[in-house]
Amino acid sequence: MKQFIIIGNSAAGIAAIEAIRRTDKDSKITIISDEDNPSYCRCLISYYLAGDVKEDKILYRSADFYKDNNIELLLNKKVSRVDPKKNRIILEDRSQLGYDSLLIATGASPKFPEVKGIKKTGVYGFRTLKDAKDIEGLLPVTRTACILGGGLIGLKAAYALSKRKIEVKVIVKSKQVLSQVLDPQAAVFVQQKLGQNGIELLLGQDAVEIIGEGEVKAVKLDSGKAIGSSLVIAAKGVSPNIDSVKDNQVKINEGIVVNHLLQTDVANIYAAGDVCEAFDLTLGKSSVNALWPVAIEQGKIAGMNMAGDKVDYEGALGMNSLEFFGLPVVSLGIFNTGKDPAFEELKILDTKANIYKKLLVKNNLLVGAVLVGDIKNSGVFLRLIREKVDIASLKGRLLSENFGYPDIMDFIKDKETLYV
Amino acid sequence: MKQLYYKADKCLGCKSCLIACAVVHSESGDLLKAIREKIPPLPRKKILFSKGKNYPVSCRSCKDPKCLDACMAAAITFDKEKGVSHDKARCVGCWMCVMACPYGAIRPDIAAKIPLRCDKCKDKDEPSCIVACPTGAIIWEEEVLSK
Repeated sequence: MKQFIIIGNSAAGIAAIEAIRRTDKDSKITIISDEDNPSYCRCLISYYLAGDVKEDKILYRSADFYKDNNIELLLNKKVSRVDPKKNRIILEDRSQLGYDSLLIATGASPKFPEVKGIKKTGVYGFRTLKDAKDIEGLLPVTRTACILGGGLIGLKAAYALSKRKIEVKVIVKSKQVLSQVLDPQAAVFVQQKLGQNGIELLLGQDAVEIIGEGEVKAVKLDSGKAIGSSLVIAAKGVSPNIDSVKDNQVKINEGIVVNHLLQTDVANIYAAGDVCEAFDLTLGKSSVNALWPVAIEQGKIAGMNMAGDKVDYEGALGMNSLEFFGLPVVSLGIFNTGKDPAFEELKILDTKANIYKKLLVKNNLLVGAVLVGDIKNSGVFLRLIREKVDIASLKGRLLSENFGYPDIMDFIKDKETLYV
Repeated sequence: MKQLYYKADKCLGCKSCLIACAVVHSESGDLLKAIREKIPPLPRKKILFSKGKNYPVSCRSCKDPKCLDACMAAAITFDKEKGVSHDKARCVGCWMCVMACPYGAIRPDIAAKIPLRCDKCKDKDEPSCIVACPTGAIIWEEEVLSK
């Protein structure tokens, strides 16, 4: 009987458990979390903070999940070191556990910008349910909150706080929000929507100091201006949690580097999810894609391979779906090309109807899409990108109202069976 | 599991199936009342004209549903007998399922903040689109699984 250890109890870890148990009902599986809840929907913490989702709806699996699947769940345990030579992990409480096969699904942690005063009380990351609860606890005494960073996490936090009637200022170093997932044009639509709904965006500005005696009182900007605020959320992206494998044979770049089987440089150690740096289909090289659906897919494949299968991971892909105040936005793959002439752009812009669609094509392959207001075909575009379909004959139709799955069914891998 | 099959050659694109679909999923279940409902009901199917034919497109309850993997709220589940199900109460309307569906078969109901997908009229004896189709272009039968 094998012993599997999974470090990390979120998307990738749970997907791995389910994949292992599909074929292997008997082996011992231990899953370790440094948080104190069973697995929950991490992406819903902003909805929880907003009051849209209650705590009972945030659990990712039922209360009996671990028991039903014969899983040993260790909560509030931090792994300090992986020892690949002895096939064991060492926990912070000095206890040790041996494994036959290990999955590192430790996720990522918020990056705190290196500004003076960032350690003051009242500065939070926004990553865990505990973060959301801690922030919620401060709401009765909070009038104004500053969010550092205009990425997805920052904007979701801003939405949640404004829903709770807190005055929100989002400080964004870049000239646009969501600069890691949207082009400037798409960002304008989001910015308008946020502005109309009372979220103030300070674009092209950066925080230089958190002011206060122990507790946050204000945030000083590079313009010299200071914003009175007792709550600060650091949302400047996340960095992979790689500490437990530093200084051993497991290869690290930005994240833990894996091969096409999601194996690290040590054959019986796998990585998946936000900590994992796997091949990226549109970039053509390895990259960290810290996204829920990517984590699920990687966890699933890592789990199958840990259970003895040999399933190839085709690669990750940037894919984001956002929704702000009724405006749907999807970003897939490459979204900005600079002025590289190798890319062809197909575009529709209708500012009155709040619709913007941009497709990026390179060598007759779709490599990216930005869709604002009308996202109905995003899954079909995603498929064209993933399967590297030659779209030469489809180009003229891709943005037409009638375009959809029937247009691509002759070009994709799966054989169509429903149209008879 | 029973599946909806379509004879694209027979489909006229008359949209009778779309109307039947919207009505059966409306609050009232009645055409005349449905058009006056606060959030007008939408069909869970669409008909796309491609290469000279009309193709109805709807959720086919994939065996390895990408929408389920993408759902960050655990609102989508899969059961061998019942196929894909969606739990409205858990859904937050993030549209991850829309982004992931390889068939473009999930329709975002922006006003209601709920993704709409064909549930094969699970509470009825047979899907209402079949009854509505005047040409017999929709077939409802047990799925033959091929490798």
